[in-house]
Formats: sequence, C-alpha cells, structure tokens
Amino acid sequence: MTNNRAKYYFLMPGVIWILAFTLFPLLYSFGLSLTNYRLGRNPKYIGFENYAEILGIGDEKVDKKAVSTASFSAFLFLGSTATTLFFGTFVAWVFNHNLPFLRQMRAVITMPLFAAPIALGWLGVVLFNEQSGPINNVLEGIGLGRVNWFIEPMPARFAVMLTDVWQWTPFVFIVVLAAMQSVPDDLYESAQLDTKSNWVLFRWITFPMIAPALGTVMLLRMVESLKIIDIPYSLTRGGPGSVTQTYVYYAYETGLVGSFQLGEAAALAYLMVVVSIVITSIYFYRVRERFE
Amino acid sequence: MKARFTILISIVVLLSGVFGVAAQDTFFGQTAEDLFPIPEVAETELEQTLAFEALMNANIPDGHALGEGKTITFGVLGQGSRGGISGTIYFWRNAFEAATGAELEIVEIPYNQLGTTIPADFLTGQYTYDVFIGAAWQYGDWVSNGWIQPIDQWIGDERFAHWSPEDTAPAFRALLQWGGETYGSQMDGDAQLLYYRHDILSDPEWHAAYEEEVGEPMPYPIVTWQDLLAITSFFNGKDWNGDGDPDDGISLHLAPGGQGHFHFATLAASFAVTPADGDDPRAVSKYDNVFWFDPDDMTPLINEPGHVMALEFLQELAATGQEAQFGWQLGEAWDNFLGGNAIATFSWGDVGSLSQNVERSAIRGSLGADVTPCSSEWYDRELGEVVVDTENPNCVGNTTGGSWHPTMSTFSENPELTYFYMALIANPSINFYNATTGWQGVDPCCTYQLYEPRGTAVSEDYTAVGFDASDMERYINAYGSNVYDKPTSVTYLRIPGTLEYIQETLDIRLSEAMTGQSTAQEALDNTAEDWADITDDLDVDSQLEIYQQAIGYMGGM
Repeated sequence: MTNNRAKYYFLMPGVIWILAFTLFPLLYSFGLSLTNYRLGRNPKYIGFENYAEILGIGDEKVDKKAVSTASFSAFLFLGSTATTLFFGTFVAWVFNHNLPFLRQMRAVITMPLFAAPIALGWLGVVLFNEQSGPINNVLEGIGLGRVNWFIEPMPARFAVMLTDVWQWTPFVFIVVLAAMQSVPDDLYESAQLDTKSNWVLFRWITFPMIAPALGTVMLLRMVESLKIIDIPYSLTRGGPGSVTQTYVYYAYETGLVGSFQLGEAAALAYLMVVVSIVITSIYFYRVRERFE
Repeated sequence: MKARFTILISIVVLLSGVFGVAAQDTFFGQTAEDLFPIPEVAETELEQTLAFEALMNANIPDGHALGEGKTITFGVLGQGSRGGISGTIYFWRNAFEAATGAELEIVEIPYNQLGTTIPADFLTGQYTYDVFIGAAWQYGDWVSNGWIQPIDQWIGDERFAHWSPEDTAPAFRALLQWGGETYGSQMDGDAQLLYYRHDILSDPEWHAAYEEEVGEPMPYPIVTWQDLLAITSFFNGKDWNGDGDPDDGISLHLAPGGQGHFHFATLAASFAVTPADGDDPRAVSKYDNVFWFDPDDMTPLINEPGHVMALEFLQELAATGQEAQFGWQLGEAWDNFLGGNAIATFSWGDVGSLSQNVERSAIRGSLGADVTPCSSEWYDRELGEVVVDTENPNCVGNTTGGSWHPTMSTFSENPELTYFYMALIANPSINFYNATTGWQGVDPCCTYQLYEPRGTAVSEDYTAVGFDASDMERYINAYGSNVYDKPTSVTYLRIPGTLEYIQETLDIRLSEAMTGQSTAQEALDNTAEDWADITDDLDVDSQLEIYQQAIGYMGGM
C-alpha cells in the first residue's frame, strides 16, 4: 500500500505540470475560441462563429488575412523545410569526410542555432539592406544586380525564409551528421568494391541509413516552420503590406496587439493546432506503415 | 575702528558672494556635473551647461515633502536613454530626484508594443505605471476606460514647477484635453512641415535649368503639392549636390510599422478636407472638416475620391525618390534628407532641430521650411465632385503625430509626486531646452517657442544654443503658421481602437498600394471594409458618440 502511494507521489509533479501547463491552457483556449472575448469586455458565447468567420462558412466571408498569412506560412513550411534539409544534409555529408579544420568549422557552423530568432531578424535587417547590405554587395559584385529585399513581395518572402534557413540548417546538420557517423564503415567498404561514385554510395547506402533521422528532423522542421513569428517581426514587420506576415503573427496581432480579440485569436490558434496534428498524424502513419 | 568696519563689511560681502555663487551653482545641492554627468546623461559640456541653465531658470520648488522615500514608475515610448521622447525622461530624472528625494523608475515600451503594454497593464489590473507617455491618439481608449485622470487641480499650484496650458498653441492644447478637462502636461507638439533645400531652390542657375528643361518657371516658393511634385521630378536623378552620384527628389519612409501612414494623412488632408463656410472655417459639419468617418453614422470616408486621389499622388511623389524608401523607417528618411541627398521631405519638427546638429546634418544653413502645401485639386463632399482650382488651392494644416506627452494614471498612489515630474518637464524653460536638442524628439508646441506675432521667442533664443538664424526663421515661422494661419486643420483621430484602425489596417494597406500589390482604390476600399468591421466589433453607437465628441461635431449640416 505504501509502495503504491509512493508511486503516485512520484507521478504527481508530472501530472500537475501536464494539467496546469498543457491540459488547462488547451481547454481554456478552446472555451475562449467559442466566445467573442475582447480583453476588458464581457465575453459572450457565440458557438463556432469565430471558426465560421475565419473559414468563410455559411453567410460569413472568408477571412482574407487568415488566408494570405496561411499561404505565407505554407510557403515557409515547404520552402524552409526543404531548403534546410537539403543544405543541412549536404553540409553533414561534407563534414562526414576527413577534411582539415572540420572540428573548428563545425563549431562555427552551429552558431546560428544558439541565437535568438528575433536577433537573427535584426541581423537580417543589416545583411539584406538594399543599399549597403553585404548580400546585395555580393550579388552586385558577381553581376546579378541588387535585390529589393524589403520592397518587393517575393524577395521579402525569400529574405524571411533564408534567415530561417540560416538558423535551422545547423540543427539538421548536427542530427544528420550523427546519423551518418553511425553508418558502419564496412557497408561503404563493401559497396566500394562495386562503385567509386559518391552519389551512388550516398543514394544506396547513406540515404537509406539516415532516412529515419531525416524523417524526424523533417517533422520537427515542418511543425517549427508553422510557428515562425520572430523573424518576420523583426526583419520585415510583416511587410511590404502584409506579405511576410505568418499565420501565427496574425494570431498574435489579433489577440495581443491593440484590439485584444482573444476569442478570435484562440480560434485561429486552434485551427493551427488541427493542421499540426494532421501533419504529425500523417508522418507517424507513414512511419508505422514503413517499419511495421 | 574704521579699518575694522571696512574689513568686516568686506568679509560679509565676500562671504555672501561666495554663498550666493554656491547657491546659484547647485540645484538642491547638486552641480551640473552631478545632474548631467558626461557621458551617462549629457554628451558634451555645452549640453551640460545649457541644461543646467535651463533647470536653474525653471525655479523648481522643493518637493521633498511630497517625494522623500517614495518611488514612481514612468512608462515611456522606448527609444533608449538618448533616444526620442524616452531620452527626455532619462535626462531630467536626476533633477527630479534631487528636488524631491524620490526615486524614478523608467519602463521603456517599444513603439509597436504601445497598443499592447499599457492597455494590458490596465485591463489586467496591474497598474504598474504612475505616469506614462503615449500618443495623443490613444486618449479615446484611455479616457473612455477611465485609465487616466485630469490634472487641472494642480496646474498653477505653487508646490509644482510653473507651466500653463495657455502657453500652448490652441491646436496642441486641444490634444492635452478631453471634454474640457486637461489630462496631459505639455511636452511635444507634433505637426508636419515641408522641408526643402533652400540653397538649391533659391539658386538662379537651377531656376534657369528648370525653365530650360520644363519650359516654364520653377514653381517656387512651393504652394501646392503639385508644385512640389514638379520640383522633385526635375531634381530626382540629377547630381545637384555635386557628390558625383545622382540624388533624390523626395525622401519618405514607407515601411509598415514605421509611422509612414501619418504622412499620408498630412498629404491627403488638402485633397479630402474642406473648410467650413462662414465665420468659423474649422467648424465640423457632415461635409466639412471631416476626414476619417462620416460623423452621422461612422461610415469610413477613407475610400472617397479625395483620399484615393491623394494616395495616387503619393505614389507619383514617391517615384521621385529612391526605391529603397519603401522599406525605410522614419530615421532613414530623415537621414537621407539631412545628409544632403534629397531636395525635399515632409515630416515632423524633429527635422528642423536635427538639421542644426552638424554631426548628423550636412544642411545646416541650407534648410528651407514651410507649411505643408495646399492642393489645387480636391474632393468636395457636399458637391460630390472633384474641384480643380489652381488660383485658390485648398489648404489644410495638421497636428499629425503623437504629440507625445505624459498622462497620469487614475490608479497612481502618488499623484502629487507624479505631477511634480510632469510639471517639471512641462516648464517653459526646460521644454524650450528640450525642443532645441533635436535628439529628444520634442517639437515646438508653445508660444514661448514661436516668433512674433504668434509667440514671444526671439532669434537670439535659438542662436544662443548654436542654431542658424535664417534656418530657424524659416522653421519656426513655418511651425507657427501651420497651427495659426491655415484656415483649418485635419481632425485628429482619437477614438477607441485608433491603433487598430490606423496601425493595423491603414498602415498595411498603404504599404500594399505603395509597393504595387494593389491600386490606390483597392487599398483604400479594403481599408474601408476593415474599418467598418472594426467599428462593428467595437459597437457603432459607442464609437459614433466618442468620435463626435473627439472632433467636436454637434450634428446638422
């Protein structure tokens, strides 16, 4: 009996943590999303009206801002995830060889990972500066001409994406490098009897062996890319216009800036939760399908 | 005996002289070096000396009875201890603490968080701030929610530094008040002026070149926005400053979140606002002196023909400057003009005082300043048509901007001590000094800063602090003319949700139009749609009542 009670004591902190910081906010914000609550005003229950307004269901017009910000989040979701995976894997592949100064270079390459995203955004303001930024200077130096990073919609979107890629490539690099280094050398030695091609070795030996790690990294990056707010906040302020405003940025502005429409912001956030759950479910379904 | 008496008298005179000097050289026992240490507070000895002189001339009373051992918290627009607006609060903190024995805590709030931090503090019942500096457009939220309290009961009380709302130009005084009561103490008077390169535009050689290229005389002095466009179009891309590179016509800042929307309001005023007929051209009717909403039903006016014309004009004007300006913040546009790379800009009074700082400005002695131009075409709401009249253009002034000033929290536990600091900063001697520094972002507001006949200042007041006399004559007279001479002025939007209407919608829609993502008409139609939704959310009837009160609309035609 005493032993039984002891195990509950040990479980208690974790249970309290989950209840207080996961379950309660989840239920409370769902309740909030069913109201028209603005901070400072009495909330009124309105059912799923907030969801209907965002999605344009029934008599409501679709929330154009939600759609446009969701499209930019989708752009980051696809573009940033794919680019980060590509560069991270490539750099890991390079570092998986015996080259001079690799250890020092590895330390340098991982540095952006430890910077606050908002600080990277501010740094991006300098780097992408149209007139005197080093990126434009390099582009001009190699004859590609200057890019209006903060003025034209598509370059502004790329500026946000590249800053995010810059921060997260080291994360992919570290995980994938660890996976590559766990591939037994004898596999390569056997394969090298048949081919010397690096590409063939990578395609048929390295890639299958690192695929589970890549899948996990991809999932984390996809969910992470849906949450991006700090980089556009500091880099572009969501502009020009609102083309670099992400969905989360929009939810933040709706709930916590000026109008404090917490009910609508909670509904926006919940829709994001649904999307994230769908993505992770698909991923785990595919993983299960593959490995069972 | 006679010799002894003479010695005694000499000693008395000497001692009184010594103590007299000592008394003059300290402020509650603190020297200029104590109050304005270099580099922590002041940057130069000159700044230290001038600030101390201003403080000594302010006749600050002893506030120890109010403040000994107490602490007050000041929330302020966050731009650092040497930045605009917040710099003022840091700069005089030591003086306040010396005069009261109290402690002043300063909490900086970034510009883009102003609409969040202060309301959230009140709405969640934290009441962190005894006093805070926000923008005058937030009065609608603050007063209607009961977050700030009137200060009339202390104005004129000898326990506090002297200042009087009567010294403030009426257009700015109105921004300190609501419903006949004074809520704010004077600090900054924001209005936008046209600035240009006086040396270039008055050069006969450039006049000849203009006439040769355009086929008609240069329209200078600039009277209308259309004149300005003609001039900036001519100069844009020419190397008129002789540095070997092509230079700009206009310098604007148009990045979202960077206060660019204010410039649209200033410009659009002459395209969209008509003064009232009759004795009082500033009288508000359904058709005259309205800019934001229809005062009868809160229908947004932002997509009416005058506003659309103005935005199309702004697009044309912006094309006579650098493309990069679409991504610029305020300081970048100023620096481009102050660095001598643009023929003109229109912006706040800061440009006038910053132009005198040779570390930041290359145009000291070459500054031209005037009221913002009139427009030779505008939309008459009553007629329902666009009027074109080049002989009698439509002229509308402005008090565009934050006119940043302190307001006291209703929940302050030390209201008199809080007012002590508000009054200290509002004192004419100190406020005059602040407005001459440039870096503090404090602009002229008051008669003691304006030249005759509008005020009592004289040229020597400005040359004494190192300003160029002719620059100041143009700048200060333009400032005075804007608030006293224009037949009318664009009404100031200060209703609940102003930040939402302006910063979260108009600002973004303008950016979309200026960067080619939408046409002027589309951008402003979208804005009108957004505004209608916001008004619905906030309750139309309540918004209408506050709007009518804010602009002084009494109903009828």
